[in-house]
Amino acid sequence: MKHLKAINNKAQKLEQAVAEGRVEEVVAMSAIAGCASTTDPGWEIDVFGGVSSLCQPMEADLYGCSDPCWWPAQVPDMMNTYPDWNKDAANSKEDWRNLGTVFPADKL
Amino acid sequence: MVSRAPLDGAVPVASPAFPTRTHSHEAKGDPVLNRKTIARAMGALTVLGTMLAATPAGASAEAVLHGKCTACHVEQDGVFSRISNQRKTPEGWLMSVARMQVMHGLKITDEERRSVVKYLADTQGLAPSETAGFRYALERRLNTPESFESEQFAQMCARCHSGARVRLQRRAPEDWQRLVHFHLGQFATTEYQMWGRDRDWFTVALDEVAPGLARSQPLDTEAWKAWRASTPPAVDGQWTVSGQMPGRGGFSGVMTVSTLAGKDRHAVSFEGAWDDGSALKGQGQAVVYTGYEWRADLQLDGTPMRQVLAVEPGLMRGRMFQRDHDEVGADIVASRQQAGNSRVLSVYPAYLKVGQEAELRIVGTELAGDVRLAEGIELLGVARRSATEVVVRVRAGASARGVAPVTVGQASGGALAVFERIDAVRVVPEFAVARIGGNGTPTAKVEGRFDAEAWAAGADGQIGTADDYRIGVFPARWSVAPFDEQAERDKDVQFAGVMDADSGVFVPGGAGPNPARRMMTNNAGNLKVLAEVGQGAEVVRGEGHLIVTVPRWNNPPIP
Repeated sequence: MKHLKAINNKAQKLEQAVAEGRVEEVVAMSAIAGCASTTDPGWEIDVFGGVSSLCQPMEADLYGCSDPCWWPAQVPDMMNTYPDWNKDAANSKEDWRNLGTVFPADKL
Repeated sequence: MVSRAPLDGAVPVASPAFPTRTHSHEAKGDPVLNRKTIARAMGALTVLGTMLAATPAGASAEAVLHGKCTACHVEQDGVFSRISNQRKTPEGWLMSVARMQVMHGLKITDEERRSVVKYLADTQGLAPSETAGFRYALERRLNTPESFESEQFAQMCARCHSGARVRLQRRAPEDWQRLVHFHLGQFATTEYQMWGRDRDWFTVALDEVAPGLARSQPLDTEAWKAWRASTPPAVDGQWTVSGQMPGRGGFSGVMTVSTLAGKDRHAVSFEGAWDDGSALKGQGQAVVYTGYEWRADLQLDGTPMRQVLAVEPGLMRGRMFQRDHDEVGADIVASRQQAGNSRVLSVYPAYLKVGQEAELRIVGTELAGDVRLAEGIELLGVARRSATEVVVRVRAGASARGVAPVTVGQASGGALAVFERIDAVRVVPEFAVARIGGNGTPTAKVEGRFDAEAWAAGADGQIGTADDYRIGVFPARWSVAPFDEQAERDKDVQFAGVMDADSGVFVPGGAGPNPARRMMTNNAGNLKVLAEVGQGAEVVRGEGHLIVTVPRWNNPPIP
């Protein structure tokens, strides 16, 4: 971090967490079955173990996540697997109610 | 959708699997040798298969395999490319077939899918010991924190989905490598996400992680061989069932199971009551996969419920949950009513206070003989008894303390806690994830559901030491509070949802951007879960952590 300077709020919070040695603790807390534990920025939980540093409202740039399949286990990836996921929700900020779950109905 | 190959024509085409990266990898895997080995094993398994319970699904499943799967998977002497190199749970096979539907345009009826999943789970499943430690994923216990000895495994596999999804599979060496190719081909971000971009991901995945998995989770195991050769436990008959549901309480009853004629299914009926006396009953059907994986769908008092249980001789254990709200569920254990199967399943109430006199209900099977309690607990009389329930009057004497077994003749398994005071309250689960939903969307809210567990400090009077003991679940007064300053500033308590003060059930807020919040943020929140248990004039407090977060749209049976 010698040559990098935090210029926004999130980066400053991250610097602070590193300085306080909280990073390990945060990572451990995030490993809940089925939640993404990558926190760049994170789907369920942010790098601080909370939710305030997630991209929210997530509808604002949702397709920036689903187009490049950023969280394919949680958000249908539209690059390869579910290209039509948003066919009824071209504008996620307005049409978010039309987005549905994708796993074919469970028939076990 | 990308263009799809016509699948009904049954014209064998080359396997869609990505070729392995170098020739040396092919050589290492030696697919030909492997296929021969598997062909021999499959032949043996066909014979052994007759020893497994019901097999009528086999015939039409084979028709599906030959008629539909061979459109892409090459078949040679009964060995199918990819398919024959894997073993997994029923849910694992369901996810594989569903993936063929979603990604490769497979057209399959629900009946065909059921049939092929049943066949594959029966013939290429996991032995009971191979699922040990990871059943939480099948049982939909989604607040389970995962930790793995291998940091590399956690970062390579469990960073997107549960590690259990991987641990519940067995594959041939070359098939683990093909799984790596699949991930990179299907989800290109794998390489440049966090924990991908900081390393030579592809080389690490192919040359370290995949071979490691081939060693720790190989296709051929003694456990599977032994399981296939064994006679599966019987399920038909009557079972005494006991359960505990956070947010609702305990229940017990009788489950009756009978095989449906000519079908690979069992009729199931349940009749019982909650510990508060209200009735609980319903019926449905069950399928037993792999000889022990019990999956039942029941309508209990009008609510669709799913049971995911593991059958052992005379015993079933697992979880029952609402089909449409799997966070609403109960731990359940069932004992088969059969000669010699003596077992205490539960004792209600599960705890007494020193000096308290109470009626104690002991639930189980083959409950014959004397009721034995810990020293210091006086047996005042037997109110009534049957083979499955014994009701006694007891008094906890002044000297009684701790958790002691409750037995009836040969039947053991019960426990009763006696306490003088509650020294601590633990919120269970200690850490939970709820999800916003509803609000006009098709995605349901995921609730948070909590129990307040009372603990006693033990002889040393100090909480947090080895002699602490769990007293049991107590009624509590529930609330939520901001977890930190940020949550307070963002008014998470106001927006993230509502905690029911009596039940410990937290219903999260609606999905979608909220114009009333700063920057229209979602109704997410970072909350403390507070439980207050009354003890005379005193209040004992417990604290948990609840993350209220965004929905999950990709929601397969194994998280």
